[in-house]
Amino acid sequence: MNVLAALGYAVFERSGDGSLHLAGPAPDWLPAGSLPDAFPFLEVFLPDAEEFWAAPGARSTLYSDLWAQDDLHFCAIAVAGEQNLLLIECAGQRFRETQSFVQYAHEASLARDQIAKLTAAKTEFLARMSHEIRTPMNALLGMAELLSETPLNDEQRGYVRVFRRAGDNLLNVINDILDFSKVEAGQIQMESIAFDLASVIAEVIEIAGVRARAKGLQMSSRIQPNVPTRLIGDPGRLRQILLNLLGNANKFTERGDITLDVELDSAPASLHFAVSDQGIGIPSDRLSAIFDSFSQADASTTRKYGGTGLGLAISKRFVELMGGRIWAESTVGVGSTMHFTAQFGVASVSEHTPTASEIPAIVYSGLRILLADDSEENRFLVRGYLKSSGCIIDEVENGAQAVERFRQRAYDIVLMDAEMPVLDGYAATREMRALGSAPILLLTAHAFHDARDRAFRAGCTEHLTKPIKKAALIKAINRYASANHRIQVAVEDWLKPVVGPYLEKRRGDIALLRAALDRGDYAVIRTLGHQMAGTGGGYGFDPITEIGNLLEESALAGDTTRMRESIQDLERYLSTVRVK
Amino acid sequence: MLKKKICMVGQFGVGKTSLVRRFVDSIFDERYLTTIGVKIDRKDVTVGSASVTLMLWDLAGEDDLAQLKVSHLRGASGYILVADGCRAASLAKAVELQKRIAGQLGPLPFVLVVNKADLRDRWEVQGKAIAETGWPTFETSAKAGTGVEEMFLALAGKLIG
Repeated sequence: MNVLAALGYAVFERSGDGSLHLAGPAPDWLPAGSLPDAFPFLEVFLPDAEEFWAAPGARSTLYSDLWAQDDLHFCAIAVAGEQNLLLIECAGQRFRETQSFVQYAHEASLARDQIAKLTAAKTEFLARMSHEIRTPMNALLGMAELLSETPLNDEQRGYVRVFRRAGDNLLNVINDILDFSKVEAGQIQMESIAFDLASVIAEVIEIAGVRARAKGLQMSSRIQPNVPTRLIGDPGRLRQILLNLLGNANKFTERGDITLDVELDSAPASLHFAVSDQGIGIPSDRLSAIFDSFSQADASTTRKYGGTGLGLAISKRFVELMGGRIWAESTVGVGSTMHFTAQFGVASVSEHTPTASEIPAIVYSGLRILLADDSEENRFLVRGYLKSSGCIIDEVENGAQAVERFRQRAYDIVLMDAEMPVLDGYAATREMRALGSAPILLLTAHAFHDARDRAFRAGCTEHLTKPIKKAALIKAINRYASANHRIQVAVEDWLKPVVGPYLEKRRGDIALLRAALDRGDYAVIRTLGHQMAGTGGGYGFDPITEIGNLLEESALAGDTTRMRESIQDLERYLSTVRVK
Repeated sequence: MLKKKICMVGQFGVGKTSLVRRFVDSIFDERYLTTIGVKIDRKDVTVGSASVTLMLWDLAGEDDLAQLKVSHLRGASGYILVADGCRAASLAKAVELQKRIAGQLGPLPFVLVVNKADLRDRWEVQGKAIAETGWPTFETSAKAGTGVEEMFLALAGKLIG
């Protein structure tokens, strides 16, 4: 007992009648008065202590919570033994240690909440800005596109080219910022669809190669033969990563070659991509920092080469979402190689692989389209895009008018702006869904994922993000237009000279395919199928691409029934297709 | 003199300690110091013609690590549920705590306090959500002192009335 008193405890003995008596010297911090009045907290601890003294079980002590009164901190300890004791400890040190730990946890939690709120506010701001910027950009870029199709002299054509390029660049910057904020807000959802790796590689080399060739650079790709080309993953994000890396290689290289290599990675289901250039290189101490947001190897780089410094940060996030990693090797003055790995599934032969190539401007004739948009500029733009399509366009300025027109007559397609006065596009779509099942394509300037979800929840067939390009609009219309109209394919004038010979060549392929099938030479069928898959959509004949895919897949699988059916499908299609 | 035990309960960081400090000592400290265990203060007040000593038990705010110990409310005449107007989650927490306390201790007089009225432009807690509780509610600012004394005295009046 004396020891306890010497340690600074106030020691109380419990008598048989339950009263508590000070059993040693009174520490100077002990308030005057009897228990529990001196320590109000004991009102809630003593009932627990009584239970404990009555049946202590295996324990010999029961600790109370800490409490504070009169600027001091205390703890009570019930001790069970031959003599039941109540110790009061002036527990300042223990209090401070506990408080510093809990305080840290609370401050961290409050900071986390604050960051989450700020991030949400930033996302909301960017979504709003996205809408505000994309709406006029839609009109600007659309008008430039239409202007470029009018008779212009060389000087004017040059101005329009610069105008369009600058607009595209600005849109890329906006898209970078949006992508980055979407990644930060956790709004990026990776797709998992079947695609053709070779087509994606060919496409990015084609796109990035235009600028490379303009600088006198050679751009090429190599896919190792053991790499499966029919994959499951997100071809759009893969394309974005590759275009970013190839674009950087192009930007920082003045002469030499740029190559894109694809090989199997050592990790299972993983591919290794490498983009090598002979450019200015990156100092070794900056190699890891280049993947940070808003970072370039040298601040002066931004001034000389432009860019937001977001491209690699976005690529890094995409690569991570694809289960891979990204890194760089470089020697200043010699060149750089940007590596990344990504995981993919391997597509089975039955999975449809969409073509990656852009389709030219075609549209089925005689479609009746209801166009609802309160912006005169946007209506003008869509009208311009569809000017030579043969479509009949009914225009209205708000959702209520759209519903009324929809009630009066049948439409093949509805192009619906999301934000309109009187009745917005979502509400109008909901009302139209009760009236008919025509495809409703919602056009919004909101690029965020929830805008897309909202569109589908309202009953829209597709969600198109402004600024919409002519080819994208027509591609969407073609995709959803009624099958009744798929008799004639309208082809743009500049393509007409090559379309006839192309179809003739495909008709000639039928005999080659049949002969190959008879002699069991599936390699020929696979090659011809691959050619069709890669070219059909490009000329405007999506079914040829689809049949080509089926031929290639069934040849790979040795499925003679499907090969025969596909050849019949091709023959049937080629005998009915007409070019306008 | 009549003595009444009143407990302050709510999520951590909503301002329970600051409300007591403002009421008892007329002080507000910008620094956030989390409460550990229980902090007990007393204040003598006069309500109508009655003098009463309020024993104010400021209970550590509930967080992910530690739950409120309802046993600390034993013997309480009433309690004050405190929410932070800037954190919608703190009102939900207050609603949850009220259910837990009523479930274990039965009906006890209480009031809801939505604190941080000085930051009203940043409030997440909507008037509608407050009204939906159907509880007697006070909006206070421990920082500015607004509504603090009125709230304590109103509850005291309810307890002795």
